[in-house]
Amino acid sequence: MPDRTIQLKIKRQDDQSASPYWQTFSIPYRPNMNVISCLQYIAAHPTTADGTETTPVVWDCSCLEEVCGACTMVINGEVRQSCSALVDRLLEEDDSIKLEPMTKFPVVRDLFVDRSRLFEDLKKTQGWVPIDGLYSLGPGPWESPAKQDTRYDLSRCMSCGCCLEVCPQYTRNNNFVGAAVISQVRYFNTHPIGANNAAERLNAMMEPGGISDCGNAQNCVKVCPKDIPLTESIADVGRMTTIHSIKQFFRGE
Amino acid sequence: MTQSSSSPSSAARFHFLLRRLHSLSGLVPVGVFLCFHLFTNFQMLTGDFQHEVDFIHAMPALFYVELALWLSIGFHAALGCYYTFSGVKPNAAAYNYESNYRYVLQRVTGIIALVFIFIHVAHFRWRIEMFGVLMPFYAKGPGGEDLATATTAMSLQHIGATIFYLVGALSAVFHFANGLWTMAITWGVTITVGAQRRWGKMCLGLGVVLALFTIGALIGAWRYEITDTERAAFEALQQGAETMKGH
Repeated sequence: MPDRTIQLKIKRQDDQSASPYWQTFSIPYRPNMNVISCLQYIAAHPTTADGTETTPVVWDCSCLEEVCGACTMVINGEVRQSCSALVDRLLEEDDSIKLEPMTKFPVVRDLFVDRSRLFEDLKKTQGWVPIDGLYSLGPGPWESPAKQDTRYDLSRCMSCGCCLEVCPQYTRNNNFVGAAVISQVRYFNTHPIGANNAAERLNAMMEPGGISDCGNAQNCVKVCPKDIPLTESIADVGRMTTIHSIKQFFRGE
Repeated sequence: MTQSSSSPSSAARFHFLLRRLHSLSGLVPVGVFLCFHLFTNFQMLTGDFQHEVDFIHAMPALFYVELALWLSIGFHAALGCYYTFSGVKPNAAAYNYESNYRYVLQRVTGIIALVFIFIHVAHFRWRIEMFGVLMPFYAKGPGGEDLATATTAMSLQHIGATIFYLVGALSAVFHFANGLWTMAITWGVTITVGAQRRWGKMCLGLGVVLALFTIGALIGAWRYEITDTERAAFEALQQGAETMKGH
């Protein structure tokens, strides 16, 4: 079999304020490669297709099994994880592979973006169940298997940001929290102990950038790598805030 | 946000209230009015149009009803434009999902409908001369002749006006039907994908009925034969433009 090579077109950027530029790399094909293994090859052989020596391409990754979300990037125009983006399948879509950083977050370098906005938004909405205390709180309330099933789906969110990348309402010029955070509000508000802080989470959801800034384009649910029912979460948090705000109107402070 | 506070901040209250009022005003009163209006138009086909128009104009406190409608449409449109033009980035070209196209279309049809409604009201209701035409809708002839059907037919029996009416009114119909669908999600009425799909079919059904009313009105207008008496009364009105004012 003759030596086969793969063309990788990579959108690079030297730092946050630098302007992006494209470089093409040519790497030898091996069966069962993923985008990460292509990037590892480039890291070891940082030479472009036309033979110019360059700096290794920077990217972010951790788990390599599609549960951490760190290696999310735009591959052939579609946002997804580079660990689970298999080269053989990508080559069925196109002759070459095109890699770009996500557009909704500031670029740290090359394909590595800073997703701390997502983390800050999870903090604003208390994306956790507070159980710290001075003494043992004992076992939590019993939960029905049906509710566990619903919540299990929501628990799979890895904050990769695919839903935010495709959302027309989530941009660098506004403060919308996006589907991932809204879905986490539903996740923790439907938790029997997490529900103790439901009012605070819903108050945060009513802030500018909260639930009401959703435009119902429903792109989020189509690209979620974990098949989380994000649009159902958005509707459910919509219902929670409707009830919460009516209660607030009639008997709140 | 403050820990342990059970009340939303004032910024949250204001933002959330405006967003929800924007959603509600699209249904009540603007959407409900659209349904009545298109039903009335449809009477161009059944021949009861003059009767309907007389009925509407006999309503008590009509000015205040109209004022409430103008304010509601103004509120809905102003906020809608603000939301559309403040930092969002449509991407239907890159992500060509059906729901994403509707997202874009909802905003485009809203703007088309706004322009259409303004020209429509200014021309027909406020009687501002446009495109060299003054259409004195709901004016009676010099001898008290009923002219509602005739003036509507005269306006629409023109290919430009027909296209303008079709694009504008059908934009409003789409905007209302799709808006009803998203409204049910916004308020948390339809939660599951199945519920959203079923409600979507009902919204589509309503949209089709309203579109048929719209097209029916056009057919009625084109089929209406303007009588010599009506034409004479209309021409007398055009000459004595003064009599149209102050109605």
